[in-house]
Amino acid sequence: MKYFNLFSDILITKGINRILISDLQRNNSELQSLELYNIIEEFKSHAIEEVLTFYDEESQEIVQEYLNFLLEKEYGFITEKDWDKNFAPLAPEFREASKISNIFMERADLLLSPQLLQSIANLGIKHLVIYCDAALPLTSFVDLESSFSNSCVESIEIFSHYHPEVDQDFIKALHEKSARIYSLIFYNCENPPVEPSDIFKFNLVFSDQSLRLNSCGKVDFKYFDTNLMKVLEALNHNSCLNKKIGIDKDGNIKNCPAMPQRFGNINDIALEDAIKHEEFKAYWNLTKNDILVCRDCEFRNVCTDCRAFTERTHTNQSGLDISKPLKCGYDPSTNVWEDWSTNPLKQKAIEYYGLK
Amino acid sequence: MILIISRKQETTTNEVIKWLLALVKKFIRVDEDEEFEIRAKEKRIYIESHRNCFYIDDISSVWYRRGGIRFKKIQYDNPAVDVHMQEHQHWLQDYVIKKLESKKHVNKQSTSAVNKLMVLEQAKKVGLDVPEFYLAEDTAEVVLDKTITKPLTGNITINNYQDYAESIMYTNIVEHKEKDSFFITFFQEKIEKDFEIRSFYLNGDFYSTAIMSQNDEQTKTDFRKYNLQKPNRNVRYRLPAKIEKKTHQLMLLLDVNCGSIDFIKSGDKFYFLEVNTVGQFLGVSAMCNYTAEKAIAEYL
Ligand code: SF4
Ligand code: SF4
Repeated sequence: MKYFNLFSDILITKGINRILISDLQRNNSELQSLELYNIIEEFKSHAIEEVLTFYDEESQEIVQEYLNFLLEKEYGFITEKDWDKNFAPLAPEFREASKISNIFMERADLLLSPQLLQSIANLGIKHLVIYCDAALPLTSFVDLESSFSNSCVESIEIFSHYHPEVDQDFIKALHEKSARIYSLIFYNCENPPVEPSDIFKFNLVFSDQSLRLNSCGKVDFKYFDTNLMKVLEALNHNSCLNKKIGIDKDGNIKNCPAMPQRFGNINDIALEDAIKHEEFKAYWNLTKNDILVCRDCEFRNVCTDCRAFTERTHTNQSGLDISKPLKCGYDPSTNVWEDWSTNPLKQKAIEYYGLK
Repeated sequence: MILIISRKQETTTNEVIKWLLALVKKFIRVDEDEEFEIRAKEKRIYIESHRNCFYIDDISSVWYRRGGIRFKKIQYDNPAVDVHMQEHQHWLQDYVIKKLESKKHVNKQSTSAVNKLMVLEQAKKVGLDVPEFYLAEDTAEVVLDKTITKPLTGNITINNYQDYAESIMYTNIVEHKEKDSFFITFFQEKIEKDFEIRSFYLNGDFYSTAIMSQNDEQTKTDFRKYNLQKPNRNVRYRLPAKIEKKTHQLMLLLDVNCGSIDFIKSGDKFYFLEVNTVGQFLGVSAMCNYTAEKAIAEYL
């Protein structure tokens, strides 16, 4: 007898009508049918030959094709006599040493105070996102970089206003000097100054749109990210807000700058103290399993769970918003993606957030 | 207080330190650029460099990662005095190192560098399967295509050789005979593998990973030759208890309590290949969500 062993780094997320197979080692996901799901389940408790006897001759061919597909994709392997039980399942725990791993700031400039830099170091923050509604000179970027040399910060992403000074030389100079900036987005730009094919140390995007802070939280197939650590985090925590801290343009400390609740102001309180507020971590353990609609969606383990913009339809006993993210146009029961912004059922919430 | 002996910018050390901070454990990190003087105060000895200063009896555990504690050598003009004082210093340093190594530790400066040949001998002694190996100065006895060769050194990279900043010496199959003889070289029987297993070992615990690369010519003999298009699968694996037991015995014999250990699985057999005490083990550990860096931090 032969047995099919599914690799432990293959995560299968079952939706209403289909499944998402996520390859956590090769960092990609693909949609497949429920039929394949059922066959994989049968392979878990029966030998391949046995599974084939469950089907009539015609369907056996399909089962065989599915098996070939699984082997071709290297989602699993075949053993004789028994499953190879020495292959242990993946432990789903998420372990992160930092008290806070991400900070998201809305600012008028890139100048961070010494206290703030110290707090970032004390908390062990690794990833920094700054949304800056201003036209920034080259020196601002370079100074920001140098304020983090020898720090625990690993990556920096900056959204800022495009202006004509941002030309080829500007980008090249930044390319020379940057170490931690991995993503730069210049918005309000009609004519990008560099070719899309040019390669830099960082991801460079020139957008003709006018991005605002409330542009955050859009859900789209192209934003889904299959990545072992992100998926482990999503299985245990809120995939956006866990271990995140936000500072809005007025210095208010929040879970993210677009969330309503404030936990003090950076002018009065250190980040280390702000996170001690009993409600600061309230959303951290809310997973997609708690969110309406999402809990049945095949994308739930690779999707971001925005809590700042939701459909505002439901809260749980603890008062946490468990409604579906507002900016998702996907319906797991029909598998159709629609434009969320024109959905009549969402208009009330859109208006509430002033997204019009 | 935990003492960490490492090098500057060493990534594994940095990752373990993040967990020490999270666990609120105090530590001292010693890097390669430090030279210590041994001193005494109120009958307690302490050592001091330009950056660090600590009493030996304040240290509760030691992690030897890389490099080593270096001492300042004080010389004397009078040759007779110098001979005496060199020996005096030698025994003092020996005392400090031995005192530190007698504490709870993760590896030791004195045993961390292992002799690959001796390790293979010892592995055989504890009953592990080891592919036949020998040393030779020519390829006369070498069975082509069934023999591999690899470096005996701990460091498998060569810097600034020919046009390359860094070259890595991989395990290779011997495919043709050499006319001339050469410097004595290590040869080993090539095992047809089902897959490789790399275990992170910490004081008796095994965190094993199966490295599935058999589908792939490029990584067949050495998984470090990485294939970016279709990376290996690194998945959690449990070694059979008797293999773990024998390997644990081997590690006790070598007096090494942390490192990564390579095996080849071939049919029902698990062939022991080597122990690596200084390599980077975090990548493989992370892919299986083992968080080896946390295990080290907790143990210290
Ligand atoms: S909660 Fe929403 S708005 Fe806030 S950071 Fe996450 S996705 Fe963006
Ligand atoms: S329904 Fe929920 S989980 Fe599915 S795509 Fe939309 S936001 Fe993501």
